[in-house]
Amino acid sequence: MPILDLRSVPEPVVHTAELIGHLDEVFESGFGRLSSANLQTLASLAASFAGTPLAEPLDAAIAGLGRSEFVDRHFAVIAAARAAAHGAMHDALVAQASAALSRPRPELEALAATPGQAAPPRAAVLLESVRQWLMELAIAGFANLEVGALLPFQATLDAIMAEPALVRHAALLSGFLDELLTVFPAHGKPEVPRLRWVDLWARAMVLSLAPPAPAATREVKGELRVFATDLRQHDHVVSLVAFGALHEPGKPARVVRTQVSAFKVDVLQGDDIAGLLNEVGGKLLEAIAGGQGVKIVGMLLHATGDLVWQEARAEVLPAKLKLAEEAAAVLTSPTPLRPSARPEDRHPAVIEELVWLPGDAYAAAGKEARELSLGGQMFPVAFERWPSSDDLQFADLTGSKGLVALLRFDGGRWALQPVMIDKGKPLPRMIGTGLQSARGKAKGGNLATLKERAGKLLRKKS
Amino acid sequence: MIRPRVLPRARKVQKVPFVELYAGRLQGVVSSGSDDERVYVSYFEAGTGNFYCSTNNNRPCGGLRGSPCKHLVELLNEGVLQYGPARVIAYLGLQQAEPDKIKTGGELLRFIKGGPHKVEAGMVFSRFLTYLQYVSVAPTGAPLPDMVWFVR
Repeated sequence: MPILDLRSVPEPVVHTAELIGHLDEVFESGFGRLSSANLQTLASLAASFAGTPLAEPLDAAIAGLGRSEFVDRHFAVIAAARAAAHGAMHDALVAQASAALSRPRPELEALAATPGQAAPPRAAVLLESVRQWLMELAIAGFANLEVGALLPFQATLDAIMAEPALVRHAALLSGFLDELLTVFPAHGKPEVPRLRWVDLWARAMVLSLAPPAPAATREVKGELRVFATDLRQHDHVVSLVAFGALHEPGKPARVVRTQVSAFKVDVLQGDDIAGLLNEVGGKLLEAIAGGQGVKIVGMLLHATGDLVWQEARAEVLPAKLKLAEEAAAVLTSPTPLRPSARPEDRHPAVIEELVWLPGDAYAAAGKEARELSLGGQMFPVAFERWPSSDDLQFADLTGSKGLVALLRFDGGRWALQPVMIDKGKPLPRMIGTGLQSARGKAKGGNLATLKERAGKLLRKKS
Repeated sequence: MIRPRVLPRARKVQKVPFVELYAGRLQGVVSSGSDDERVYVSYFEAGTGNFYCSTNNNRPCGGLRGSPCKHLVELLNEGVLQYGPARVIAYLGLQQAEPDKIKTGGELLRFIKGGPHKVEAGMVFSRFLTYLQYVSVAPTGAPLPDMVWFVR
């Protein structure tokens, strides 16, 4: 089984991860108090970029930080270098996975630049505030943060949320701030999830270097058949990601990805999510629940294979599909045009290579599905990514006829995250199949209660 | 990856629509048990252990007679549920309480040494409105690749 080749990791990837690990120690203790060991780490970071376009700015930034020159451009360069190192890891890992799976590497679709609306001038001001806040975090160090240093950023975040051009920033930063506040202040010294927080920090910094430019897209006409889903959420955003085969007239079927997301508050969970997502992706939920295709006319597709979901351009088709067959057909030898990441977004964590495993290729190992047996050899399951939902459970693996999994890289190893399990019934098991029926229940749910209670307070004021 | 906390039971949103640890207080909004039209604003202060409960137009709660009223107890219960005993104890600075032995917020009452101390309810109320702003942000069908970091 070639996928078993992925039980080892290329040597350069391991080395790069070590280099990043050392850099992250500086973020934990803080750039405001650089030790000699920290300075050495920064010097070896600079050395590994020798001869690249980042070498000169990196030298200047590290020299400046050594002199306690705390300006955001120095931190921007550090973030860019870290992102570039992760980008190189991403590319090496995607090459390894593509070779193991005997498929071409994913490619960005060549699209002509499309005129779009540039971000409004105030976006630049808000992003400057973001960089400032991120710089303060890095100077203090994650181990030394105080809640007083975190709270004022909420005001900037409120303004970012009110700016549609910065929706990506809003989703990332609200999750990051919330996570920092969850840990601080805690009992004693908090345990800092270093790699994760520096990832989020660097991601936010790179994303905030300049206002987002409109991305190139093209209009798509055809049928989308969703065969796998994943749910992502933090206290303030919930996001349903759907993977499917796109059939365009006169072109081979290809895999695309689409995503519907809603902002929320912590108490909105479970059935309440359905009500929130219904507003932006009701037809997508309907198609997922029914195992039906969606006719799309004029939806926009990014070069990365990301379809921008637009309700008005979707029509759920009546026919029930054989989704397991659909997935097997399009994933057995996928085209280079499949979901991927833009160069600036590349990071091992964003790798999600879709694979189809027929029923005789795997067996569930143990009750908790920490591993899959692939022809007698164990392969890790991305257990920590398994959402808590009745729609897709560990038990579904037993006696299943096939599955779709996302091949992921996290914690220094490859793992499979099952995102659809074929039980031999018309509708496969996947996240979101239950959201459609939960929509009705959500009508009188917590969201309505919150708004009604707030209304009472408003009225009492007069 | 951080696994999100799984609450021992669902939050009682109808009873306590809003609870937060903010600006040195455990504070929130509590519905009246008898009058569907009435909403209280309640808080406990970290360090001093002072507390207060009033309607939004700053009329004091009738149940507040030197010790916390039932609205404050409900706030404490939901706060401990939302944030876990360890975080509430640390935030309020209740050194005597042992997080491992605390199951509900009510059990923390005996560690709270302060007395009633009035603050303007409007501040808590405006925090509630800020919190609700999240729900009014338009949902999106655009790709959000960074959400891959957030799973549960």
